[in-house]
Amino acid sequence: MIDELEVTRPTEGRRWKLRDVMCIVAGVVALALAVGAASTVAVPVDSDMGLVGVLPYPFWIGVLILNIAFFVALRGDADGPARRPVLMSLLVALVLVLFGTAIFVTDVPRGEVAFRHLGVADALSQVGVDPGIDAYFNWPGFFALLATMLAATGLDPVTVALWAPVVNVGLWLAAVGVATRYLTSDPRRRWLVLWLFCLGNWQDQDYLSPQAFGFFLYLVLIGLLVGPLGARSAPFPGFRRADLAEWWRGRAPADPRPGHRVGALVVTLLLIVVICASHQLTPFMMLVAITALTLSGRVWPTRLPLIAGIVLVLWLVYPASPYLVGHPPLEDAGLRAAITANVVDRVSGTPGHVLVVQLRVLLTVVLWALAAAGAVRDWRRGRLDIRVILLALSPLLIFPVQMYGGEMLIRVSLFALPFIALQACSILLPTDDGARPSSRGTGVLVVTCFLLAALTVTGRFGNAQYDVFADSEIAAIDAAERMAPPDSAIISAAHPTPWRDDAYLDHRYRTIEDLCEQDLTPSTCGPTVYDFARGNAEGAYLVLMSSAEASLVIQGDTSTRDFAELERWLRTQQGVQLAFRDAHARVYEVVAP
Amino acid sequence: MSGVNRLTVALGLSAIVLSVATIVGLPAPLQAVAAIAVLVLLPGQALARLTQVTDVALAVVLVLAIGLGTLTVVSTAMFYLALWSWQACVVTMGVITVLACIVRARQEVA
Repeated sequence: MIDELEVTRPTEGRRWKLRDVMCIVAGVVALALAVGAASTVAVPVDSDMGLVGVLPYPFWIGVLILNIAFFVALRGDADGPARRPVLMSLLVALVLVLFGTAIFVTDVPRGEVAFRHLGVADALSQVGVDPGIDAYFNWPGFFALLATMLAATGLDPVTVALWAPVVNVGLWLAAVGVATRYLTSDPRRRWLVLWLFCLGNWQDQDYLSPQAFGFFLYLVLIGLLVGPLGARSAPFPGFRRADLAEWWRGRAPADPRPGHRVGALVVTLLLIVVICASHQLTPFMMLVAITALTLSGRVWPTRLPLIAGIVLVLWLVYPASPYLVGHPPLEDAGLRAAITANVVDRVSGTPGHVLVVQLRVLLTVVLWALAAAGAVRDWRRGRLDIRVILLALSPLLIFPVQMYGGEMLIRVSLFALPFIALQACSILLPTDDGARPSSRGTGVLVVTCFLLAALTVTGRFGNAQYDVFADSEIAAIDAAERMAPPDSAIISAAHPTPWRDDAYLDHRYRTIEDLCEQDLTPSTCGPTVYDFARGNAEGAYLVLMSSAEASLVIQGDTSTRDFAELERWLRTQQGVQLAFRDAHARVYEVVAP
Repeated sequence: MSGVNRLTVALGLSAIVLSVATIVGLPAPLQAVAAIAVLVLLPGQALARLTQVTDVALAVVLVLAIGLGTLTVVSTAMFYLALWSWQACVVTMGVITVLACIVRARQEVA
């Protein structure tokens, strides 16, 4: 049909072999080892390196077995890799091990944001779209979807948030798998891309969120652009005007069926609208990718960048205008500011936390270095695919435009990851397409990917001391939200705090970290927090949890001693009384004067 | 009905039956299954079949993307128009599925 898709699939129709069965059994054993080991971890996690500091060794044996089984299956035999169900089952096991580890540790979703997103969907269903509330109500698409799904299915929202990472990564892998089918004909390369995509996915953006949903739609859109909407073009002739015009006119649609192309175009337009309505950042990534692919001559409908740009601008000018009035898009642009917010500000804290941040950077650098080596190898062989290069590099253009709360580098690396992984395969697999890796090469791949898996677990769960919550901490938040009257303030020590999931608009939510900004010394911060709490007409509740305290200490904002002193100062003030206490949290009521 | 694919008929009828069942209410696990089917999978499948996609992997991904995308558009529009209720979304997605099946059936007959 199109480009690489017509390649035959040598693994189909072959008989099952003992090796196939052994690989599946190994995958099951690895999963059992990892799940069993993770379920023994105590919460709160007691390590500033996160889960990697407390996971028992059977977990790592499971990860090693999983990698060995995958590469034995990938190596296969002279006919190709093992059968599709074998590789698929190992991929499912890897997703459960890497992205479900925390689910086997606790039944509470990690982090604050998933709770907040549940609260936004709940508030949306109660008050409708009010763009004046906050940014979420200016891009309500995902929350409208979530509100409808939760109400119609009757599923427990917290359970949905708990399993969201596994479901989202499953959706991403399906979309990456489809896009890859149009970019390479080598079945080993297709499977290795999916494996590397999991191993490089430390960014932790797969929780219940608009960006995870938007990223899935983005990947499907890319699949359509390089597939049914793709174009074939002659080799680039240079920049002379006449040559360029002739080259542009010489393009031909990759799919000869007009009806198929129209159908794909309609779906693409639907995806563009939904992406623009659901998330702030993804539409810009989408626009850059569409434009880059179109200018390379590899997309047939040439007006797509214009259409995507118009939809994006219309959304910003109309539904999102209340937010943009107070937050101009280029307000904090600039390469230096972006580097400071995305890199410098993040490399601080306890030695363990700094090491985790450095290992995240290392993992990204290793993958990009492998991709660069793969690109050089492909270029020397005259087989460099410009589409892969453009899709890997185009997200970088967005980096200096917006700081995005210091998370832009994380988002850039995630959007580039599928294509970095694809390009890295060029150096990890033999030069000839379809060639079987040697035994020695397979061993090197096993070791390399085991190390990548260790780095990913370290990076993803490196904040577990403060983003994995104990049941007692959830009980304390529930107690505070239950006791606090409407319009009162609820103050936590720091982000993340698992709050606002069912009372998003009922209270004023603040953290000590936000109120005191850079200075958390007891003598300065104590009066600031006390004055804010007492100044609220309906009173305030102060929630102090072990995880939030750990967040401040690990990131170097305060010390355990200073935080204890701050709490001692606050609880001795007039109108402050202990209202709730359990193993890992205290709730103080602050009565208004 | 001669010339109309059985899958087209089954999709349309399933959308009607499951829409009613979801709104009336089913026991806990069945309610989730029925709602996901009528809100995402059935409209996704019915609309994806109109695109004439032949590649199975692409078709599977399109079912999910089109189903989720269409539900997002419907839900968001209802919120902006202050018409939202999950029952209204179920009915609308059921109607979209049936309409897509009718269009497909006309293509098949032709």
